[in-house]
Amino acid sequence: MSLILDGVGKRFITKHRVVHTLENVTLKINQGEFLCLLGPSGCGKSTLLNIAAGLEKPTTGKVYFKEKEITEAGPDRAVMFQEAALFPWLNVIDNVEFAMRMSGMPKKERKEKALQVLKMVHLTEFQDSFIHELSGGMRQRVALARALTMDADLLLMDEPFAALDSQTKNILQMELQQIWWDTKKTIIFVTHDVKEAVLLADRVIVMAANPGRIKKEIKIQLARPRCLESLDTAYVEAQIMRELKNEVEKVAKAEYDSDWDLEKDTILLGPDHYLGIGL
Amino acid sequence: MAYELGVEYLKVWQPNGFPSPINIAKTLEILLVDHTLGIAVLTSITRLAIGYGISLVLGFLFALIMLRFKALQENLSPLLLGLQTLPNVCWVPLAVLWFGLRESTIIFVVVIGSTFAITLAVESGVKNVKSIYLRAAQTMGAKGLKTYQNVALPAALPEIINGMKQGWAFAWRGLISGEMLMQVKGLGEILIVGKEKADINQIIAIMVVIIVLGLMVNKLVFERVEANIRYRWGLD
Repeated sequence: MSLILDGVGKRFITKHRVVHTLENVTLKINQGEFLCLLGPSGCGKSTLLNIAAGLEKPTTGKVYFKEKEITEAGPDRAVMFQEAALFPWLNVIDNVEFAMRMSGMPKKERKEKALQVLKMVHLTEFQDSFIHELSGGMRQRVALARALTMDADLLLMDEPFAALDSQTKNILQMELQQIWWDTKKTIIFVTHDVKEAVLLADRVIVMAANPGRIKKEIKIQLARPRCLESLDTAYVEAQIMRELKNEVEKVAKAEYDSDWDLEKDTILLGPDHYLGIGL
Repeated sequence: MAYELGVEYLKVWQPNGFPSPINIAKTLEILLVDHTLGIAVLTSITRLAIGYGISLVLGFLFALIMLRFKALQENLSPLLLGLQTLPNVCWVPLAVLWFGLRESTIIFVVVIGSTFAITLAVESGVKNVKSIYLRAAQTMGAKGLKTYQNVALPAALPEIINGMKQGWAFAWRGLISGEMLMQVKGLGEILIVGKEKADINQIIAIMVVIIVLGLMVNKLVFERVEANIRYRWGLD
């Protein structure tokens, strides 16, 4: 058992009201498992990830990693954010070496290992570039390389591909699948993209909003390597979509006016709908 | 040309109130030949270097202490801002009473003038660092001083450089006003002597020297550092 979330809850108290972002989430993640947290925006999946990373503290409940309670962020759990969070004052290789420098690894060893992971993400040619010279997809690959250098067994990924265009995204999903296969790391991957979840995960946790909680757990038992075009993934996807639809609608309802309805608004009104109304 | 036109033909300027560039150059040459200028520049620059060096150390130190203890930050920030508005010259009488007519007096005036600009810049620079950098660093095992050294300060560098430039300008002001009022060797002294001799050429010659020195340091030090930062961050 790698990570255990035990009755985790999180409340944010703002000026006007108390928001329950998470309520009583209990989850066990196995060693070497690829787990996707899937849900509409606002269901607290990022908060859950931050709690696992130790960047936020749960209001109730406890989190254990390898039988030890998590109290703060640490290098035993690597995190990848939606924006690459690379340091603009360092070049690519120095960025990749950062975590190793913090742990006091000697320079030569550091460099060797940095080059090794850069090779994994196919970026050795750009080792001396600065961050602003890279495209969005390249930045996320550098961020992935940086996370891989830490030798953490657990990799926490917070919608890392959400801001990328869909072609780049597909390539990176395939690369991530391969790297996970090669390194046997435990990965918790937050996403709102059903396709992505089905493609990558062993197990998908569908979350519900207000308050954020686990709605359903779905094991994905498709053969690997999976690819986006296959019919199996599309079938499982449709299954999960049905699960999610209610939730999406619920969240959307809270944000739209009260007369909004998904069914009605998906019927397109023809231009002659009101024909003759003014006669 | 413009000068000739103004003085000789249009008679808008008096030659004894607005000297010709040629005369200024001549005065500069005289000052150079009898080594007054060389010695003055050297002593002034040495003082400035010592004073500015101390300011840098103190400025960073104060800023880090203020960042570490929130209560200090809340109470001291307005005070520092107030002290910043106080012109350097105001410290000269106080410094003379404290230290006497000595070298350390001028250095004190230089330091007190430039330290707070640096402190304020470092403090606000670090406070404005994007939180994602700090969070990322945290997950990679950076803690305490290491975070400051490797993340907070480099991330705040663009703002810090601005503060250092400002501090440099304040240091110059402190230096010249201190030297003028105390009449110890240096550029400020030659300026005052020029006034006493009613030698407009000398006064303007020294002003030119000060401006040139300031520009040179800016060009050689600050601009290079800034260009480097702009290149790295991709701000060009």
